[in-house]
Amino acid sequence: MRTIRVLLVVAGIALAGYGGWLLWPQLPYAAGWLIAGPVLHDALAAPLVGLAGLALGRVLPDRVWRRWVAAGLAITATLLLIAVPLIWRPHPAPPNPGLQDRDYTTGLAIWLTALWAGVLAGAAVSRWRERRSAARTDR
Amino acid sequence: MKAPVPRPEDFRSPAHTPTVSARLGLWLGVAFGLCFLTGVASHYAQHPPGWFSWPTRPVSLYRITQGVHVLSGIAAIPLLLAKLWSVYPRLFIRPPRRPPALVATHAAERLSILILLCAAFFELVSGLFNVAQSYPWRFFFIQTHYAVAWVAVGALAVHIAVKLPVTRSAFGERPDPDRRAFLRTAWAASTVAVLATAGVTVPWLRRVSALAWRSNGGPQGLPVNRTAAAAGIRVPDDWRLRISWPGATHALSLADLTALPQRTATLPIACVEGWSATARWTGVAVKDLLATVGAPTDRPVRVSSLEAAGLYATSTLPAAHVADPLTLLALRLDGQILSPDHGYPCRIIAPSRPGVLQTKWVTRLELLR
Repeated sequence: MRTIRVLLVVAGIALAGYGGWLLWPQLPYAAGWLIAGPVLHDALAAPLVGLAGLALGRVLPDRVWRRWVAAGLAITATLLLIAVPLIWRPHPAPPNPGLQDRDYTTGLAIWLTALWAGVLAGAAVSRWRERRSAARTDR
Repeated sequence: MKAPVPRPEDFRSPAHTPTVSARLGLWLGVAFGLCFLTGVASHYAQHPPGWFSWPTRPVSLYRITQGVHVLSGIAAIPLLLAKLWSVYPRLFIRPPRRPPALVATHAAERLSILILLCAAFFELVSGLFNVAQSYPWRFFFIQTHYAVAWVAVGALAVHIAVKLPVTRSAFGERPDPDRRAFLRTAWAASTVAVLATAGVTVPWLRRVSALAWRSNGGPQGLPVNRTAAAAGIRVPDDWRLRISWPGATHALSLADLTALPQRTATLPIACVEGWSATARWTGVAVKDLLATVGAPTDRPVRVSSLEAAGLYATSTLPAAHVADPLTLLALRLDGQILSPDHGYPCRIIAPSRPGVLQTKWVTRLELLR
């Protein structure tokens, strides 16, 4: 295993070095965008997730409901993130038939409605199942 | 008073454990690996080095590799966030003060992770904006996205090397129900993200995928990336297709082209942005055309467009594509004369090629050495 690890480190440094060499001419323009990801995540996104988790624990003491709602929130956040470049378009390419011509806001709203209907149904069903199996073991 | 900066042990979520991180890391590694391989393949298809030749079969090859590229990138977005949440407490490990060797390895590992995260976020975010054809930055996307991909795989290899022992023991342990629920959520988010966008390239999902950056629309029912207006195209009345090779030049009018034997092929047009659509194209096979005017048919051909400027005003058809009977100089799309946005009077359509190289508004074919 030691050999594999050493080889991986050496290859990794070589590949990243090659990438850095290719990146060099663009670095002044890309530096802000490169550092923004980790900074926004560590200072903003992750603390928000943590706070949301704490709040969820207070609001929903039931474990089954908490799991389902947490999953719903995670999927909602994913869909919202993916929708950002479709809805917020500061410097887009020239208008073009067939490109970005959907009604993204309505589409997103429909997906989120379906998602939360699924979350509520899923939580209710697994709660009911858990109760039933608990009742069975009691007998 | 509470301490202003939390410590790793302050985090109580069941997600914060190597059994979860290692599994997410494996899935993320697969997604990034697919993204990297298909991305490099696409780069080579567009800028082939001397030793490389992109195959002409299957005709959907580029459609598939590029579809995998964008969808594995989409799938990686929730996986990356889940993985980072899993390891977030480690950000608050206080660095060691001594001995110097330990301080140095700790700093080196932190630096390698910072580089990995800069590169990973950059690739996902810049790719996502690029597929939406939105460019809120000043760097050159193609060059930068390609360069940072190498940084990402390099940093990933170092990270795997560092974490290999932890990962191995983590896979020996089965996660408890709460941890399995977290992993299932990450899977679900990834699947939903793919379904919400896969309609760009999977026909039966076109109506379902609300966040696909392409629809079924477009002139003649087929999307385009660059309209005739955007490219500033005006087809002159005396338009001729010029075919030249050392020692000869040949000019054909549109009537001449229409009079030649026509061939019909069903071929996809597959863009680097991952969208693709299939259509029925009719025109003259490039190989037949060259043979008709007496030009050699075994060489690469430079195709020039009426477009005066722009990155894709010319393209080079590799010899393998020139020799392929399915490579057409198309005059018709689904039976109708090409609309201006699809490249009237004629365009190149070849099997298994990036869409940006399917040159439109063709005015000249030049045989290269």
